[in-house]
Amino acid sequence: MKKEEIFRRMLKSKFFIIGFIMVSVIIVISIIAPYIIVHDPQKTMLKLRLVAPEYFSKGWMGHIFGTDPLGQDVLTRLLIGSRVSLLIALVGVTIPCIIGTALGVIAGYYGGVVDSIVMRFNDIQLSIPAMVLAITVMAIFGNSVPNLMMVLIIVGWVNYTRVVRGIVMSIRDGEFVQASRALGASNLRIMLTQILPYITAPLIILMSQQVGIVILTEANMSFLGMGVPLPAPSWGSMIASGREYITIAPWTVIAPGFALMLTVLGFNFLGDGIRDVLDPRSKD
Amino acid sequence: MSIVRFLIKRFFYTILVLVGVSIIAFSLMRLAPGNPAKLMLADNATAEQIAATEVSMGLDKPLVEQYLIYINNAVHGDLGKSLFYKRPNSELIFGRLPATALLTLAAVLISLAISFPLGIMAGIKKGTTVDFVAMLFALFGQSMSQVWFGLLLILGFGVALGWLPTQGYGEFKNIILPAITLGLPLSALVTRMLRSGMYEVLQEDYIIATFAKGTNRMKIYMKYALKNAILPVVTIIGMMTGQLLAGAIIVEQVFGWPGLGSLTVQAISLRDFPLIQSILLVSAAIFVGINLLVDILYTFIDPRMKLN
Repeated sequence: MKKEEIFRRMLKSKFFIIGFIMVSVIIVISIIAPYIIVHDPQKTMLKLRLVAPEYFSKGWMGHIFGTDPLGQDVLTRLLIGSRVSLLIALVGVTIPCIIGTALGVIAGYYGGVVDSIVMRFNDIQLSIPAMVLAITVMAIFGNSVPNLMMVLIIVGWVNYTRVVRGIVMSIRDGEFVQASRALGASNLRIMLTQILPYITAPLIILMSQQVGIVILTEANMSFLGMGVPLPAPSWGSMIASGREYITIAPWTVIAPGFALMLTVLGFNFLGDGIRDVLDPRSKD
Repeated sequence: MSIVRFLIKRFFYTILVLVGVSIIAFSLMRLAPGNPAKLMLADNATAEQIAATEVSMGLDKPLVEQYLIYINNAVHGDLGKSLFYKRPNSELIFGRLPATALLTLAAVLISLAISFPLGIMAGIKKGTTVDFVAMLFALFGQSMSQVWFGLLLILGFGVALGWLPTQGYGEFKNIILPAITLGLPLSALVTRMLRSGMYEVLQEDYIIATFAKGTNRMKIYMKYALKNAILPVVTIIGMMTGQLLAGAIIVEQVFGWPGLGSLTVQAISLRDFPLIQSILLVSAAIFVGINLLVDILYTFIDPRMKLN
């Protein structure tokens, strides 16, 4: 597909434009967050606990979205929390994608015993509910951001392997692969130059759909106290800490959940848009 | 491949997967910190007591032998003993399972009740308001954290309106909010799949020909189109039902539902590793069991399976 054609389709897809704008805004916010905050995101101020949202009545210096049960400013923690979410999403999507794709290409290309081994591992992994496995591994190795990333890699690779393997199997005997082989190309060369370009579009679509899932998984794990360790702000743990006070201080729960929803919605819009652009025939 | 051969192969794979899961569960517990024998005893246990417990738990044997003993016991229904409750894990798990099964069933029913009419209507009337509502529902449903959605329901229907209880178990009205929350991702996904599935099938030549013949529209939609659009949905419902336990962990925590999900969270926070190990095994067994059932069901509803 030509570059101009891709660009034309991007402008035509409403999903792509809305998603692109939302995601860009979120990424910019997470980058500039440390420079625009006026409160300490981790300092507890018990005198100031559960202050109701002041919105912009005191300008940028007030507690725009109120404070949480520890007297920490909600907006500040939201802004800083976006960095954790996006960082974890970045690692939790790209690394499983690389591992899963490599295994999927190998399984699909060679078939036979190799394929059986990879796919049985895949089945075993899929049969354990991801959240159960994730929190078990966290319980064994302890709460930390690197461990959280490791868990997301462990539970994430299967999604890519299955899809990639299917596509590779359908093209491995294609004429262009046979031509390459006849010209004396090695297996590795065929995989990298003939097969990889063929699976890029479906991979980009899959990755963009996985971002939202990874962000929600991180939030759920942090909600259970099995994710980003306190006192670092994470949207999931913010919801957990506000939960007990939901009737008297609903903003402590509504604000982080809303941030989470907007972020995931942005990535899902973008994912649908990318699919419209790269694979216009598919409707789902 | 005949159906019988397919099913035998499928059954064999199921066993293979369960063996794999048991090896993973067993190895994970060996990675867990702390001496299991020491954890079993009181804090002031002597070295001799610990050594004696190690022997009685079989911890002095080689790993492979330990694993074989573990599997042999598991096959005979003995999943070991919980460190915290000091009761058999199987008793704890199967005591909690009915509550989660009930919640899962309610969640699936509610999801299907929402997503079937919505998805089918949206697929038939593409580009209309119904379609727009369905798309919006699917997008938001996939983008909302279940924790948050559940808490919003509590805030709205429990606290503000006071119509439904927010915590508790036993009465019919207790299950409504948790079931809606647990079913949210499933309803979003099924709405989406049915919408695109119906739309695509309705573009097929044979359907257009049936329209031209003047067959009753309702009959075309329900008998010819839906039959094709529903196939991928059945697989997904099966997969998602098995995965609902993962969702139940979150939802049961939010609504204080006394099922397997809240037992899992308790086991994790108490670092009750033998119990976690058993939960891992049982939930995998449930997942592959449901999927096996779905595959069997599939051979009945997909005519292509019979032809091959």
